[in-house]
Amino acid sequence: MKPDDAAPPADAQAVPRVLLVDDDEVNLLLTTQALRDRGFEVTVASGGESALALLDDCLPDVVVLDALMPGLDGFQTCRILRGRSGLESLPVLMLTGLDDDASITRAYAAGATDFFVKSTHWGLLGWRLRHLLRSSRTRAELERSKAKLARAQDLARMGSFDWPRGLSSPLFSTEGLRVLGLSAQHPLRTRGLLRLIAPDARGDLIELLHDTLRHASALAADIPVRFGDGTQRIVHVQAEPEFDEHGLASGYSGFVQDVTDRRLAEDRIRRLAHFDTLTGLPNRTQLNLRTEVAIEHARRMGHQVGVLLVDLDRFKVINDTLGHAAGDELLIEVAHRLRTSVRHSDREIELSVESMGSRSHRLLEAVGRYGGDEFVALLPELSDERDAELVATRILELMKEPIFVGGQECFVTASVGVALFPRDGDSVTDLMRSSDVAMYAAKSRGPNTHSLYSPKLAGRGREKIELESALHKAIERDELVLHYQPKVDARRVRLMGVEALMRWRHNGVLVQPADFIPLAEETGLIVPLSEWALREAARQSRVWQNAFGFTEAIAVNLPNRLFERIDLVEVIHQAVTQHDVPHHAIELEITETGLMKDSGNVNATLHRLNEMGVEISIDDFGTGYSSLAYLTNMPISELKIDRSFVRELGLAPKSSDIVMAIIALARSLGLRVVAEGVETRRQMDVLQRLGCRLMQGFLFSRPLPADELQAWCERVLVERSATWIADRGDDSPDEPSRASHLRAAGARRGR
Amino acid sequence: MTSASSPGAVLDPQALKRLRELDPTGAGKLLERVAKAFEDLAARLLPQLHAGQVAADAEAIRHVAHTLKSSAASVGAVKLSQLCAEMEGMAKQGQTNGMHEPIAALCAELAAVLAALKDALVSHP
Repeated sequence: MKPDDAAPPADAQAVPRVLLVDDDEVNLLLTTQALRDRGFEVTVASGGESALALLDDCLPDVVVLDALMPGLDGFQTCRILRGRSGLESLPVLMLTGLDDDASITRAYAAGATDFFVKSTHWGLLGWRLRHLLRSSRTRAELERSKAKLARAQDLARMGSFDWPRGLSSPLFSTEGLRVLGLSAQHPLRTRGLLRLIAPDARGDLIELLHDTLRHASALAADIPVRFGDGTQRIVHVQAEPEFDEHGLASGYSGFVQDVTDRRLAEDRIRRLAHFDTLTGLPNRTQLNLRTEVAIEHARRMGHQVGVLLVDLDRFKVINDTLGHAAGDELLIEVAHRLRTSVRHSDREIELSVESMGSRSHRLLEAVGRYGGDEFVALLPELSDERDAELVATRILELMKEPIFVGGQECFVTASVGVALFPRDGDSVTDLMRSSDVAMYAAKSRGPNTHSLYSPKLAGRGREKIELESALHKAIERDELVLHYQPKVDARRVRLMGVEALMRWRHNGVLVQPADFIPLAEETGLIVPLSEWALREAARQSRVWQNAFGFTEAIAVNLPNRLFERIDLVEVIHQAVTQHDVPHHAIELEITETGLMKDSGNVNATLHRLNEMGVEISIDDFGTGYSSLAYLTNMPISELKIDRSFVRELGLAPKSSDIVMAIIALARSLGLRVVAEGVETRRQMDVLQRLGCRLMQGFLFSRPLPADELQAWCERVLVERSATWIADRGDDSPDEPSRASHLRAAGARRGR
Repeated sequence: MTSASSPGAVLDPQALKRLRELDPTGAGKLLERVAKAFEDLAARLLPQLHAGQVAADAEAIRHVAHTLKSSAASVGAVKLSQLCAEMEGMAKQGQTNGMHEPIAALCAELAAVLAALKDALVSHP
C-alpha cells in the first residue's frame, strides 16, 4: 500500500477549530474540556463583543454561541457576524435552553446554521459539531460549483430557465435574466419579454411557441432581441419539455444564450464566401445565386433577365508590366466604375426571394467580380434586349476614361458579352456560357465593343475555349513545330533564306497560325511561343549547317508587342550561342503597324539587334500606315511586299503601280525587297520586270518540314527541276555557283 | 420549600459521573476548577441577587437566576437549576413582590450545592 492511500484527506485530518462563546464560566469550562477531549481546538470568549473581536483576527471552522448572554446576546452576535464579509457561511451553532422554542426560531432568523440544547451530555455537542462541519463543507463545495457554473454560464453568455406548467411566465436564473439584459430586481412577465423581441420577429415566435406547446416538442430558435438600452442582440433559446411520473407534460426547462458574436462571425464568414475581398463586389458564388433567384422569379413573372459578362482586354499586359499591386488597383477602380452602371445592391441574397416582397427581385441587380478580370452585371428584369445593350454601352463608355495606376495613366478597354434569359439559356450555367461566347465574339471584333449572344456564335466560342486550354499545354507537350518556306532569288535560282512558320500539331491535325496566333496574342501565350520559335530556329540553323552547309538566315515572325514583354536581345543571344550559330542566322520579321506604336522602345531594341547582326524585315509592307520616318530611322534591311498586292499583279492595273512604288522606295533606301505570296509564273514575270527578283510563295515551295528542305535544295537548285525555272540555257554567266553551299557541304562531309 | 439536602439529592449522581468522565484521571483537576468557578460565580451573583431584591429590580433578579440556572444544570445541581428557572420565570413577568421566600430557598439550595461540591471533591479528588 502506498503511504498516500493510508492518509485521510487533508481537510478531515486538520484539527477543527471552535470558537466557544458563553458567559457561563462553568459551562465554558466543561464544554471546552469536552470538546478538547474529542479533538477540537477550542478558543473561548465570554461574550458577543469579545467573540466578534476574536473573529477579526482568526477564522474558526465553527462558532458555538450561547443564545442568552449579557451585553450582545447570541442572536445579535450572530447577526453582526453574518454581516461581515467572509463569514456569511461560517457554521454557527446556537446553544439554547431546553423547550425554548422562541430562541430556536430566533436563532435561525439571526442566521444560525443550527441550534443545540444545552445538556450535561458533553459528548453530544462534539458529534453535532462534526456533523455541522461536514455539512457545511458539502455546502461550501456546492456553493463553489454553483459559482463555477454561474461563471461558466456568464462566460458563455447563457443562463437557464424553467417554465412549470400553469405558470404564466418562465422563471429565469440570474444569468438567464442577464442574457436578456434584465436584472433579478426587474424580472419581466411574458408580455414584457415578448416586447423585447424585434417586432417583425414577434409574430413568428408566438406562432412557434404555440406550435411547440401544442405538440409538447422541443424548442430551438435564434431570436433577435432589443434591450432596454437599445442594443440589439441575437438570443438562442433552447428548451425541452419535462414530464411528470404519469408521463404528462409538466412544463419546460431550457436555456437562453447570447449568440450575437457567433452570428456576427458567421455573417462575416458568409460575407467572405459571397463577396470579393479585393473589390467588395459580390463574387461568383453570390452572383450565381442571384442569377438563379432572378431566373426563378423571371420564370414566374414572365420577364427577361440579362447577364453581361465584362472582360478587360489588356489586363494581363498591365498585370505583367506594372505588377500585381497596380493590377489590383486597376481592378478596384474598374469595380468602382462598374457599380455605377447598374442599380447595384450590396445586400446579400439568400436562397429565395419569397420573403423579400414582390418588387424585391430588383435587389438582385448588381455587378460582381466573376474571376480575375471578369465582371458580371446582372439585370434581373428586362423587357427588351435594348435595355441590356444600353447598359453594355454605358459600361464601355465608363471604361474610356484613363485610369491612374502605379503612377501611370492606363487605358483599359473591355469586351462585353450579353445573354438573356430565357432566349439564350434557361439556367445559370447556360446563361453564363452564352454570355462568355458573346464576350469572345465581342473581343474578336475589336476592343471596347459588346456583342449579343447568337446561337451561331456558340460552336466557335466553345471551340475557342478548348483551344486556349490546349494551347497552354502545347509547348510542354512538344506539339509545336516550325515549317520553313524558302525565299528565292528567282532570276539567279538561289536560296536567299527561309521564313519560319509555326504549326501546331493538335489532336493529329496541323493547326494553321491564323487559327491560334490571335488567341495566343490575346492570352499572352505568344511570349513563350515566340521564345520557343527563336530557340528552335537557332537549333535548326545548326542542324542544317551541319547537314548541307546552310548559312542563310531563318526569319522568325515576331508580334510587335513582344518588344515590350521580353528582352529580345538577350533571348536571341542565348539562342544562337547555345547552338553555336552566328547572330545573323536569325532574322526578324515584324509588321509595320506595331512599329508605329511605342517606337522609342522598339527602336532601341532594333538598333541593338542590328548591331549584333540580326537583320530586320518588315512584313506585310504596304498594308499599314507607311511612314517614311520610321523606314529611315530604323535599322531595317528588308521589305516584304504584302501578298494582297502580289495576288492582283497582272489582273488589276493599279496593283503594279503600288508594287513599283514599293520597289522604288526600297531601292532608294538601300533595302532588299521580297514579294510574298507568289503563286503563278505570271506574277513572277511581272515582279521580275518591275525589278523585284527576291520572292516567296507556293510557286517556289510551300512551307516545308525541316527535314525536307535539303531535298528541295537538291531538286530545285542543283537539278533545276521546277516549273518556274526557265528551261532556256542562257543563264547569266555570272552565276557559277548556284548550289555552292550544297557542294561545300558535300566537300565537308567528305573530309 | 423542601429542605432535603442530602448530597444525592443536591447533585445528580449521573451528572456528576459525566463530569468525572471528562477528566477520568483527575490530572486536569477539572472537578476542582469547576467547583471553584461555581463558587466564584455564586460569590459574584449573590450580592447582585440581594441588591436586586432590595431595589425590586426584576431584570437584575432575572439575570442572576438565568446565569445560575445554566451553571447549576452544568454541575448536576438539578434542584437549584429548577429553582433558578422558576425565579427567572417570575422575574421575566416583572414580579418582584413575594420573592423573599423563593430567594431564601434558592440561597439555601445554593449553599447545599456548594457543600456537596466540596464533598464530591473530597470523596473523589
